[in-house]
Amino acid sequence: MSKDVIVTQNISKTYGKPPLQVYALRETNLQIKQGDYIAIIGPSGSGKSTLMNLLGCLDKPTSGNIIIDGSDVSTLNENELARIRREKIGFIFQKYNLIPTLNALENVELSMGFAGVDSQTRTKKAKQLLEMVELTKRMTHKPSEMSGGEQQRVAIARALANNPSIILADEPTGNVDTKSGDNIMRILEEVNKKGETIIVVTHNMAIAQRAKRVLRIQDGEVKEEHV
Amino acid sequence: MFRDNVKLAIKNLRNRLSRSLLTLLGISIGIMAIISLLALGEGMQQAITGELSSLSDVIIVSTGGNAFSAFGGGGSTGQYFTQRDIAVIQRLQGIKEISTQLSGSALAEYNGKKTIVSLTGMDIAVMRLQYSTTSLKAGGFLNEGDQNKIMIGYGIAHDTFDADISVGGRIKINGEKFFVTGIFGKQGMGGVSSDSIVLMSSRDFTKLTGQSNISLIYLRIENVKDAESIATTIQGAINENHGRKDFATATTMTSILETVQSITGILQVVLVGIASIALVVASIGIMNTMLTSVMERTREIGIMKAIGATNQDIMSIFIFEGMLLSSVGGIIGIILGVFGSQGLTLILNSFMQMGGSMNLTPVITITSVVLAVTVSLMVGVLSSLYPAYKAARMSPIEAVRYE
Ligand SMILES: Nc1ncnc2c1ncn2[C@@H]1O[C@H](COP(=O)(O)OP(=O)(O)OP(=O)(O)O)[C@@H](O)[C@H]1O
Ligand SMILES: [Mg+2]
Repeated sequence: MSKDVIVTQNISKTYGKPPLQVYALRETNLQIKQGDYIAIIGPSGSGKSTLMNLLGCLDKPTSGNIIIDGSDVSTLNENELARIRREKIGFIFQKYNLIPTLNALENVELSMGFAGVDSQTRTKKAKQLLEMVELTKRMTHKPSEMSGGEQQRVAIARALANNPSIILADEPTGNVDTKSGDNIMRILEEVNKKGETIIVVTHNMAIAQRAKRVLRIQDGEVKEEHV
Repeated sequence: MFRDNVKLAIKNLRNRLSRSLLTLLGISIGIMAIISLLALGEGMQQAITGELSSLSDVIIVSTGGNAFSAFGGGGSTGQYFTQRDIAVIQRLQGIKEISTQLSGSALAEYNGKKTIVSLTGMDIAVMRLQYSTTSLKAGGFLNEGDQNKIMIGYGIAHDTFDADISVGGRIKINGEKFFVTGIFGKQGMGGVSSDSIVLMSSRDFTKLTGQSNISLIYLRIENVKDAESIATTIQGAINENHGRKDFATATTMTSILETVQSITGILQVVLVGIASIALVVASIGIMNTMLTSVMERTREIGIMKAIGATNQDIMSIFIFEGMLLSSVGGIIGIILGVFGSQGLTLILNSFMQMGGSMNLTPVITITSVVLAVTVSLMVGVLSSLYPAYKAARMSPIEAVRYE
């Protein structure tokens, strides 16, 4: 039995004050194990991104605890949270979110820079990662000079740069065509085979079906889907 | 991380090139102002100090409180030294030479118009020390042994009589004919006015007026070190002669030098103060640019935080940008300041032509360059501190907003 990488204890997230309060996520208990491959599905506005942002330590739950690799993140200060995001988590966004002034290589190197990796090791690792996502020929291109699919593959390389234990991808294929989408999913699955935990939000049932576990969210309530 | 920050800062500044350049220009102008005004102040200080320290073995004894009021002309307090005073000084040890400046008034006539003018008699050597050749507008100085020759101020030459007087002109003073050998330039508001001076040798003065009203005693001493003690002795002795405590003032050049230095010191502080206003405006410019940049890069900041940047990482990125802007601006400012001070000096020198005995050369010291570099770096850090703080406080959730 592999260990838990993320455990959530009764986490909920609300927006706004009582009369107009929105429950984006209701008391959610999850156990995510090392090497899991989870798809999160649900209608628009159901709370998928809310959950992802909480798991990725981009946001804090209104109540409840999140335990990542054994440590309760609700007790951590900002710098410690930054360290968790840097070391344990790789985030992939729907809109790629590359830094527009940096080229592909520099974008991948950036998070390693924040982790204090020296520049030689960084460049070597970034090149390897870009090779893995088949972008060797695009290394010096700026985001504006690349297609959506290419940008998303740079983003994957960036997410993997610091060897995180969890990859969180919020609709990674949402802005690319089917072929690029398949390519992206294939890369993520390969990463998963090496033992990485992958959590993917998707609207695409075909993609969701490939996952080992599927979570369905409806009005902020998370249910395990048995396939 | 240092090199990465520099690289990142350069990229970001290049990305907003025209805005960066304009901000940089602001800081350049501020630093240029500081450098050139400091250079000017330093030049002024050195020019005055240089001129005065060549006179460091000189003591001036005047009646009344202030050496300047009698120095060089017209202004007489109506009290004069006596031969007894001169005798007292002559008896003292360590004095090389004594000369006097005589004052009186006489009736002058030119082109049929008569008027009372004030006369000044001086030894030729003293004359040459008091007035530099550059203060002359026309003609030349009196020479040793000249008789019945005078030098006159601009006002006497142009504003006193019905007709203008030129070099070689003839003025009747107390019925005697005098030839004008030199005319001083217009002095206007300059400290000691020589505009209404009529200057002749001491010998001519005594011969003409039969008086020797000594308004000023001018002496050189053998050893500069004794200046203060000799001055005190003389002042005491002359005051005793006249039975008053405040009859005479003996002023050494050292004390004048100190006064002048403190005045130019204040002047420099004022000049730098003015230049600092430009710098304050420039730093507001940096702050504004940085704040705009932070707003525009809200998402970018969120992304960096989402991939693990700490608040300090974000802060240092923005502070580096501010520092880069201001230090490049500062270097350009220093270069501009070197040229600017030359230009400013040219303008000032042409203004001061009217009687300023000294010619300014700007002096750029290491201190002022170091000061400029330090100030520009500090301006960069201080004015990007707040924008950087705002950036650091942004939440990583900004990365996923507005999707
Ligand atoms: N900052 C916010 N302030 C107020 N309400 C918010 C905020 N963010 C999200 N919500 C609300 O919370 C609910 C869940 O939003 P969330 O973004 O998690 O949905 P989602 O499942 O990701 O939808 P989609 O598939 O469209 O991305 C929605 O009703 C949304 O309006
Ligand atoms: Mg969403």
